Amino acid sequence: MKVSFPYMGCVTGYKKVFETLGHEVVMPQKPTQKTIDLGVKYSPEFICFPFKVIMGTYIEAVQAGANVIVASGGNGPCRAGLYGEIHQKILKSMGHDVKFIVFDSMFRDFGLFYDNLKKIKNKIPIIKVLKNLWLSYQIICRMDEIEKEIKVLRAYEQKRGDFNRVWLEIQRMYDGCWTQKDIDKVTEQARKMLQEVPLKKVEEEEKIRIGIVGEIYVIMESSTNMDIEQTLNSMGIEVESVQYISDWVKHNIQPNFIGGSKSHQVIHKAKRFVKMNLGGHDMENIGWMVDFKERGFDAVVHLMPFGCLPELITQSAIPTISQELDLPILSLSLDEQNGTANNRTRIEAFVDLVRNKKRGGSVQKKEVKEPEYTDKVPEELAG
Amino acid sequence: MDIYIGIDVGSVSTNVVAMDQNDHIIFKEYTRTNGQPLESVKKGLKLLEEDLKRIFYTVKGVGTTGSGRQLAGILVGADIVKNEITAHATATVNFHPTVNTILEIGGQDSKIIIIQDKMVVDFAMNTVCAAGTGSFLDHQSERLGVPIQDFGGLALTAKKDVRIAGRCTVFAESDMIAKQQYGFSKAEIIKGLCDALVRNYINNLGRGKALKAPYVFQGGVAANKGIKAAFERELGCEIIIPKYYNVMGAIGAAILAKEYIEVSGEETKFRGFGAAELAFKPRSFECEDCANCCEVIKVELNGKTVAIWGDKCGKWANSVTG
Repeated sequence: MKVSFPYMGCVTGYKKVFETLGHEVVMPQKPTQKTIDLGVKYSPEFICFPFKVIMGTYIEAVQAGANVIVASGGNGPCRAGLYGEIHQKILKSMGHDVKFIVFDSMFRDFGLFYDNLKKIKNKIPIIKVLKNLWLSYQIICRMDEIEKEIKVLRAYEQKRGDFNRVWLEIQRMYDGCWTQKDIDKVTEQARKMLQEVPLKKVEEEEKIRIGIVGEIYVIMESSTNMDIEQTLNSMGIEVESVQYISDWVKHNIQPNFIGGSKSHQVIHKAKRFVKMNLGGHDMENIGWMVDFKERGFDAVVHLMPFGCLPELITQSAIPTISQELDLPILSLSLDEQNGTANNRTRIEAFVDLVRNKKRGGSVQKKEVKEPEYTDKVPEELAG
Repeated sequence: MDIYIGIDVGSVSTNVVAMDQNDHIIFKEYTRTNGQPLESVKKGLKLLEEDLKRIFYTVKGVGTTGSGRQLAGILVGADIVKNEITAHATATVNFHPTVNTILEIGGQDSKIIIIQDKMVVDFAMNTVCAAGTGSFLDHQSERLGVPIQDFGGLALTAKKDVRIAGRCTVFAESDMIAKQQYGFSKAEIIKGLCDALVRNYINNLGRGKALKAPYVFQGGVAANKGIKAAFERELGCEIIIPKYYNVMGAIGAAILAKEYIEVSGEETKFRGFGAAELAFKPRSFECEDCANCCEVIKVELNGKTVAIWGDKCGKWANSVTG
């Protein structure tokens, strides 16, 4: 079978999973305007934006020869839990008979989980399967760690694009890992490559840190969020995002009773604002906002697809959270609209506000020290 | 005399101001953009040059703001290019230091800016549609055959209240037509429209924010007496309309340029009034190198490429140095 999957987060890791199980992988492409156009055309008008983008990715993958799609399910009232079924239905109506294997949490229905596992394990003994999965998981963890670091360091790169180039190279290097030894070697080399990128010197008290929370897909996929992390980095701001596939896996396999993952812990921090989770990551995101505040971050950006129910709940709690925590929070709704002028203005004004707050100065005194983004006109995302 | 120029290129109007070193406004021009931002900037600059013939002056700094700030910034050689929220807040705090809430309604967007101790602490911009903005009023004034200048005044003469849906322009318009057919007067309908617009503005932008007086109302729509009255009814107190209400963004840009120059000690990058004559050609093309099909904007000045932006990969943007 020719396997494909959604383009989301560390795709190198997923590719590794299926390759080690002996499948042919049709690598999904990073969503482009064409992907989005395709997805929008074949999706219901009122469905969430991630559904449309993933739809486009699947169509492209199927056109490239994929006949099996592996995706994750979900639980709770968020529509993402039913994406797989609807995507399959739409593909079928387009004349593509594609098999879908949707993995839900193994704690919910282990039998189904195991059946799904059997479908993809390709007659390989289960112990070997687990070993392969562990290897891929290691790759994902290492790559996520490096990506996290890049989102901090990129704020200070002397030459625009240095870290992006290094990151592309590092991704290629991990793609060629087949053993734990390979992974260790590549990780060491990657760290060295990061250290070699020349950085601007910035005083500690001038550094601004912004946390990104919100709906998992729009956070992870830069082509759906106007490349917000890059935009903030290019303004000299460190960014930390709360969603990584390695964390998501941890959240879903590490049972709550043995300490639980970090994302289980942050849910407790949300309890002063909301009593229960209403689907998706709403409670987790509120918890992360509290966590960012506790860790001394200067602000939070909240991303949601237009009309996302769980994130609408987060959004409506933001004014209270922002006031009680004394933490500036900017909430952005994202959709297929690609005019960035409006959001660009919001982001710039928000950054002014945050810098100002940090310096405790007046509106008047603020940007004089920031020539790097006030006077350079052609910012990458301006169009 | 040292002067600082501020340019605000918005969707509906392009404004140019000149300010002396003591923050006195010595020139202001409000022109319609008419879909040609560059032409209107050039026109504004020519008028400014004419006007300045009466004095001896040196241009010390230039700032641009508004949705066309980048292009205008390259055309004139701006020292700072600033978003309109910061620019508006800067200007308002300068004239009304005690302000707590700025209500700004422009051609295509509306904003609310919350100020504490002269500092922006929160803001919001309209998200979903243009229902609460100047272009909608423009369109309705045309439809009702009442010139936009008389629009607000007419609202004040209304005797009765009419309720018009304000959430969406399409609903508002069909409501207006229905009420017209019931026999309400134009004045009453316009008043109803002003109320709806303000209700929509407060619900949409003021949501979850503690609004406090003093309020300052600016932007092109502040000229509309009907809207001002509706705001006063809704907020239950007097609203201040600054003297230069329709060019506040440009003034903010001028002030920010002045501060930048004063602190950095740099020479201005202003290209001079000759900029209006330069062969300045922005053009956009669709890059076909990958499936992103980015709309890339390329700006040429006297045949030389001075700026490129709009590409996701940075290939084009990085190709221009200096």
